[in-house]
Amino acid sequence: MADRVEADPGRRAPEAGPPGTGAPALALELAGVHKRYGRQVALDDVTLRVEPGEVFGFLGPNGAGKTTAVKILTGLVHASAGEARVLGRPAGEPAARRRIGYLPEHFRFQDWAAGTALLDFHGRLAGVPAAQRPARIAEVLELVGLAGRGGQRIRTYSKGMSQRIGLAQALIGRPELVLLDEPTSALDPVGRREVRDLIGGLRAQGVTVFLNSHLLSEVELVCDRVAVIDRGRVVRSGRLADLVGSATALRVVVDRVDPPLLEALGRYGRVRSVEGGSLTLLVDDVEVAAAVADCTVRAGYRLFQLVPVQRSLEEAFLGLVHGGDR
Amino acid sequence: MTTLVVARWTVAEAVSRRLVLAAVLLSVAFVGVFGLAFSILYARAEADTSEGALFPVFAATLLTVLGLYAVQFLAAFLALLLSAGAISGEAESGTLHAVLARPLGRAQYLMGRWIASVALLTVYVVAMAGSLLLIARAVAGYQPVDPVRAVALLVLETILLLSAGLLGSSFLPTLANAVVLFSLFGLAWMGGIVEFIGQTVANQTLVNLGVVVSLVFPSDAVWRAASYYLQPPLFLGEAVTRGGIPMAALTPPTTALLLWVLAYPVVTLLAALRTFARRDL
Repeated sequence: MADRVEADPGRRAPEAGPPGTGAPALALELAGVHKRYGRQVALDDVTLRVEPGEVFGFLGPNGAGKTTAVKILTGLVHASAGEARVLGRPAGEPAARRRIGYLPEHFRFQDWAAGTALLDFHGRLAGVPAAQRPARIAEVLELVGLAGRGGQRIRTYSKGMSQRIGLAQALIGRPELVLLDEPTSALDPVGRREVRDLIGGLRAQGVTVFLNSHLLSEVELVCDRVAVIDRGRVVRSGRLADLVGSATALRVVVDRVDPPLLEALGRYGRVRSVEGGSLTLLVDDVEVAAAVADCTVRAGYRLFQLVPVQRSLEEAFLGLVHGGDR
Repeated sequence: MTTLVVARWTVAEAVSRRLVLAAVLLSVAFVGVFGLAFSILYARAEADTSEGALFPVFAATLLTVLGLYAVQFLAAFLALLLSAGAISGEAESGTLHAVLARPLGRAQYLMGRWIASVALLTVYVVAMAGSLLLIARAVAGYQPVDPVRAVALLVLETILLLSAGLLGSSFLPTLANAVVLFSLFGLAWMGGIVEFIGQTVANQTLVNLGVVVSLVFPSDAVWRAASYYLQPPLFLGEAVTRGGIPMAALTPPTTALLLWVLAYPVVTLLAALRTFARRDL
């Protein structure tokens, strides 16, 4: 799908930042945002900055506050405190919303309408000129893999097709910033792959993508930077490589594991798991491997294996958040 | 502009969901039954000379007022059904989120829905009430005090109910809102009856009770205002001494009442806009 994404010569230049700075405005910014629903805290002092052109992954278990954050950015929810800005303007201002595309999480579109009618409605609201609308509708339908299916009523669509029409809806107004809240939850592996390619195509056009997801493999494959949110707080953010590589591990296989060994290895890192003669040692830098090997052998243990293990995003994620669905 | 886009979309929804088709078919049936019944009963009243010369006028008035009373109920239910879930239903199903992330204000969205519903209800009330009045005129030469003002007030009643429904929908879940609206509508209906009985038996407490209910929810009060203009002067002149129809007024609405029922939808609509603008979706 991505190869069909064509550069749009009519794209507007990014809005200038605060006067005097000369820097382009951030694509989006949350600064000290709090949100309470009654006594329930949904967001607790969330600060995030996303540069124009980035693909940003917002990760967290269900109920962590991802959707609330996106709703604040689209103006659907009002923050209790703090500031949210989108493309250099306060979030929720119509001028800010003109340039964004949004796929809501539990999107259910007006199912009595045909796909093209829905896209026409959203195209009108997004300000796509009447003369360009039919061509643009055909273009986004093609982009999401629904070419030729636009005439059908949404009621007759499968779950995957509904998600695709949702994506088409988000893209209809040629947005500069696309906010996708769990865009692939209803898609099969092929569909997920297509959405990843679509996001890659948007990146190639300079479109900023803010992707809410709990599907880590997806984020891993497509995002430049991520933030991990848990119980309303951002617990980590940064480049994906930094996040994954921030704590590497060594797998040590020896003839026996006993307390003196654990104590000795404890000087090089944190022992995480022990299984028979195998243990995982979390270290700051894999360079300590040589010292670990030395120490093990000198203490009289037989060393069978010493392998550096790159932590997957999943491991990094699980280390950061409190277990899953609550 | 975007308000009209939303209004068009709302009408498209009513058409696509076959709401319009159902309403048209049932309305044709309703008007047909009314026309037939009216013709038969009026012919019998005219043939019956034992009840006095005014009897045909009384019969025509009773039948017309009853027919329009039914139209008023149908239009009221339509208004309540259109508005009960207008915001909450869309918010509950999630269809609202994608739309309101677009560059349109919530006020524009709400006004778009309001305008579309007012247009649908106006067409319905004018077509139904107009048909009944034309049938009565053709068959019995029926000449009410002021049919245009009467129909305008009937339209106003649906606008009043619609606006109140949107206000409820801006903060209550659909079902709760529907329960509240129908209860208020029923209460207002009873308030009107209580007031009529109070006047008949000259009991000021009952009259005051009815007035208070009408102030709280003036749907029945607007109907009674309309009903005065629906009756012929000849009937009204006689009815003052002989007693009228329980659900129709014998005196024209006061200016104070008219101002109140005109202000009511404006105030409820403004309150709905305010509540909706502040709500988290």
